[in-house]
Amino acid sequence: MSMWLVIAPLLLMLVSGLFIMLVDAFAKERAELALVTSVAIAVAGAISLGVLVQGGAPADMPEVLTRYLASDPFAHFFDVAICAGASLSVLLAGGYLREHGLERGEFYVLVLFSCFGAMILARAIDLLSLFVGLETMSLGVYAMIAFRRTSARAVEGAMKYFLLGSFAAAILLFGSALLYAGTGHTDFVGIGEMIASGDAENRLVLVGMLMVVVGLAFKVSAVPFHMWTPDAYEGAVTPATTFMSVSVKAAAFAVFVRVCMVALGDESVMTASGWPTAIAGLAVLTMVYGNVAAIVQKSIKRMLAYSSIAHAGYVMVGLVAAAEIGAPAISAVLFYLLAYTVSNALAFGSLVVMGSRGKEAVHYDDLRGVGRRHPMAALPFVIGVLSLMGFPPTAGFFGKYYVFNAAVQAGDVWLAIVGVLASAVGAYYYLRVIVVMFMQEPEEDQVLAVPMKSGYVATALAASGAAVMALGMMPGWFLDVAIEAARQLLG
Amino acid sequence: MSAWLSENLLTALLVVPMLGAIGVLFMPRQWPNAIRRFSVAMLTVNFGLSLLLLPDFVELVQYVLGRLPGVEDLTLADYSQQGYLFVVDEPWIESVGISYKLGVDGISLWLVLLTTLLTPIALFASWTSVKTKVKEYALAFLLLEVGMLGAFFALDLFLFYVFWELMLVPMYLIVGVWGGPNRVYAAVKFFLYTMVGSLLMLVAILYLVGSYEELTGFYTFDLVALHDVILPFDAQVLLFLAFAVAFAIKVPMFPFHTWLPDAHVQAPTGGSVILAAVMLKLGTYGLLRFAMPMFPLASQFLGPTIAVLGVIGIVYGAYCAWVQKDVKKLVAYSSVSHMGFIALGMFAMTPQGINGAIIQMVNHGVSTGALFILVGVIYERRHTRDIDEFGGLAKVMPWYAVLFIIVAMSSIGLPGTNGFIGEFMIMNGAFASSFIEGPFDIVGLGRWGVVHTLVAATGVILAALYMLHAVLKMFWGPVSKKENEGLRDMTWREWAAVAPLILFIFWIGVHPTTFLDASAPAVDNFISDFRTKFAESRDDSLRLWHPDRHTAPVEEGEEVEAEPAEAAAEAEAPSDGQREAANVLPPSERTLALAAPSHPAPSLNATGENR
Repeated sequence: MSMWLVIAPLLLMLVSGLFIMLVDAFAKERAELALVTSVAIAVAGAISLGVLVQGGAPADMPEVLTRYLASDPFAHFFDVAICAGASLSVLLAGGYLREHGLERGEFYVLVLFSCFGAMILARAIDLLSLFVGLETMSLGVYAMIAFRRTSARAVEGAMKYFLLGSFAAAILLFGSALLYAGTGHTDFVGIGEMIASGDAENRLVLVGMLMVVVGLAFKVSAVPFHMWTPDAYEGAVTPATTFMSVSVKAAAFAVFVRVCMVALGDESVMTASGWPTAIAGLAVLTMVYGNVAAIVQKSIKRMLAYSSIAHAGYVMVGLVAAAEIGAPAISAVLFYLLAYTVSNALAFGSLVVMGSRGKEAVHYDDLRGVGRRHPMAALPFVIGVLSLMGFPPTAGFFGKYYVFNAAVQAGDVWLAIVGVLASAVGAYYYLRVIVVMFMQEPEEDQVLAVPMKSGYVATALAASGAAVMALGMMPGWFLDVAIEAARQLLG
Repeated sequence: MSAWLSENLLTALLVVPMLGAIGVLFMPRQWPNAIRRFSVAMLTVNFGLSLLLLPDFVELVQYVLGRLPGVEDLTLADYSQQGYLFVVDEPWIESVGISYKLGVDGISLWLVLLTTLLTPIALFASWTSVKTKVKEYALAFLLLEVGMLGAFFALDLFLFYVFWELMLVPMYLIVGVWGGPNRVYAAVKFFLYTMVGSLLMLVAILYLVGSYEELTGFYTFDLVALHDVILPFDAQVLLFLAFAVAFAIKVPMFPFHTWLPDAHVQAPTGGSVILAAVMLKLGTYGLLRFAMPMFPLASQFLGPTIAVLGVIGIVYGAYCAWVQKDVKKLVAYSSVSHMGFIALGMFAMTPQGINGAIIQMVNHGVSTGALFILVGVIYERRHTRDIDEFGGLAKVMPWYAVLFIIVAMSSIGLPGTNGFIGEFMIMNGAFASSFIEGPFDIVGLGRWGVVHTLVAATGVILAALYMLHAVLKMFWGPVSKKENEGLRDMTWREWAAVAPLILFIFWIGVHPTTFLDASAPAVDNFISDFRTKFAESRDDSLRLWHPDRHTAPVEEGEEVEAEPAEAAAEAEAPSDGQREAANVLPPSERTLALAAPSHPAPSLNATGENR
């Protein structure tokens, strides 16, 4: 396999980003930018999938590529998840931005560059590439949140995320510096080896590790580092929210897993620092708080924001299990993130399709009786929330099943029990979506949100719905691929 | 053709309502009557198909249609043998040992037939009462039947869980969309109660499968294989609790019963019928099929406590029923009372008790189903269910009164009706439980069985009180309300819905042997297996019961002899790294060296295969 094919997804992101910028600047009539962008991202994802199926990168990659970035199946698996999320978000944007009069080409450019950053992040095997990837990804997202420039909420969300994100980045950078000071290495493998050999300066490593974990926990919006999430998610245009909640989160988790398992995966570090216990605590907080806070929300967008916080908690359960049993748990994390990506994209997509020009569906009340008036528009939402709830036979069920299975096999039965109880709480607010759509009628004087008619959004819903059902009915193939990727990650 | 049918009968029973659902999906919603006819027809066809599970019926078919090609080689199911019949076993998700494995035996047989009988009746009974969104309503019933039958058939714990959850959604929608004024609250409560229980059960299933993997080095969710895992006492208690809570919520057993009156009262008639007649049975069936045989030590340790809860439920449910003003709520609370009997019978651990419990499951389904249909009949005419609103109905609607009183009598347990048989057998079994002889005298309710029986017997008296109280107020006396004059008596549709149930009320009441013949051998196996496994479990260790039956999966195409499980376990067990390797075995053919289901195996008494 050619080395070019391996790095083609990254190059494709960059080239198409520049291309869209030029087209947007010179094209008089609005070209179908959403179509071009989503196809470009989908092609990048497909190439990664092909590389993944073919068994990964060739052995003779030039050193300039392998020094900072990995090309292992793990990275390619995340490429697939990131590209799937980004491509679906762009399709949603194609309908949403036009419908709400926000059609400006820079949105697609931001997605492409941010997606590039996310893919770098998923491949990062060095603290330097980690930071570069993280910032590339985040800068695009900051701008995306503020995309609706006239809205105070959007600007507030963007400011909040930008300030807190900068703090988190600074903490992460400081932690990286301490890790470097403690071990003399910036690459994960080198750090891991230094720690294993006992030559590292342990106190520096511990403090550095703590700061890196905090920085990453911020990016995946684990409680108590989640404060920015609801505001940013609510303020952003819904396609941007979709992108943030799936692709950005997946990439952040990719590097989180890599840092934990490769740099800090040594037995001595685990016992000395107890990071698995710390992450288990974060996971419990995140699952419980995310689900409980989601119940009281009036806005569905905020509810989905808290739900995505809760889902970060489930993924961290898998990460804790990975400390004990390794590859099977990592594969559960991989599968969960893929399932979560398609399910969440489906849920946000359904929210997008519910509103059209003049009236965007945001609150539960906006959805009253939609199921009776427009059953075909409501159906994707039902599948989406059932999958997020973890209901068989959808993707979300198998994701939850694999993660909790990993926790039980790792001996963390209590963590699995907290997880299932938290997801039972989650069932309440997901059901509420179905309740308002099918079991309630709008009030007399209420302005009704009319579902939008858009080929882009319909395509996105069909694709993500099909993926949710496919992953739920036939999870075996993807799970095998995930297991293989997880094994190669651990060497 | 017919051999093929026998092999795939259970799959066919799931596919027919599924096809019906797909068919309904493509029918225009402007044709409500066509949708109703089509879906009732599909469900009735499925009932006819399910009759092929009965050897007597197959013989009848062969006698009548003997000339037709293929009819001769239809399988005559023999429920007196051990193991499951009509087994289907196909791999589904091989890398984690999940398979599509179905089967029936004497325990599930009547519950399956109850399901296939009552689903069309329930849908038929709401022919006129459900006028809106008929298409979705029919769809929900068809999918509901798939979920319920699948849960009764599943012999793979994972598959069981999937079906168990699957039937939740249609029921949730039936209550929430077509229910009464407070339907959303009731539907959400129903959903959440069941969900909490079943999620805990999922964790328990995962733990059990993990233990199996620890012992053999590979994963499986096969019930028959997992049955051979003998767990230490503490683990048994915790896992049993997780299973039992999930099932007790469904039953519902006191004190988990609070969702039931809400759901029943708010649900439309058809929903109440299915909920009471079939879905509650899944709780008791689950206890009998999964929780008790897999964790005998814990089952024996906690069983008497659960039986006490059952007895409390009997009396408490009866008292609550007595004070209800709403007829539907009265029937709902009477369900709590009747389901208490079933729990008592199961944990008595005597053949009479368990047979009685099985027959009582059917009885409750038939009688309560009929009661809900009859309550629906009067509600449709008067739009109230308040007992005080009626009076003297026997003069206005004589046939209605006759039917109602027959069903009420069967619910009370009058001799000659089905209720008598079930409750008598259960109390007989519970009483006998005090006097079990032999080496396993600790199995059962112990000396307290007599006390349990005495208290439970008061439940029968209370049943007579609340039922006769309701009958008295509704049917006798003068016609006190103007609205009640000139009410229409039973229509032919209502007759058609209730008549089969009346038939079964008397059939079971007069000739219960028809039904007990199939369940008795299965119950005998169940008890002897329970006792043997109980004795095996007493050393309080984690081990495999029949180690030679569990061989590691062999990769397809490789000509490697299947290693004995123990050797594989030894090789895999020591390090975590190697355990991971076992975990990630590539897709492979699962070659559990278990006896074929139809294996006669007379010498295998009390082995993992029986029950």
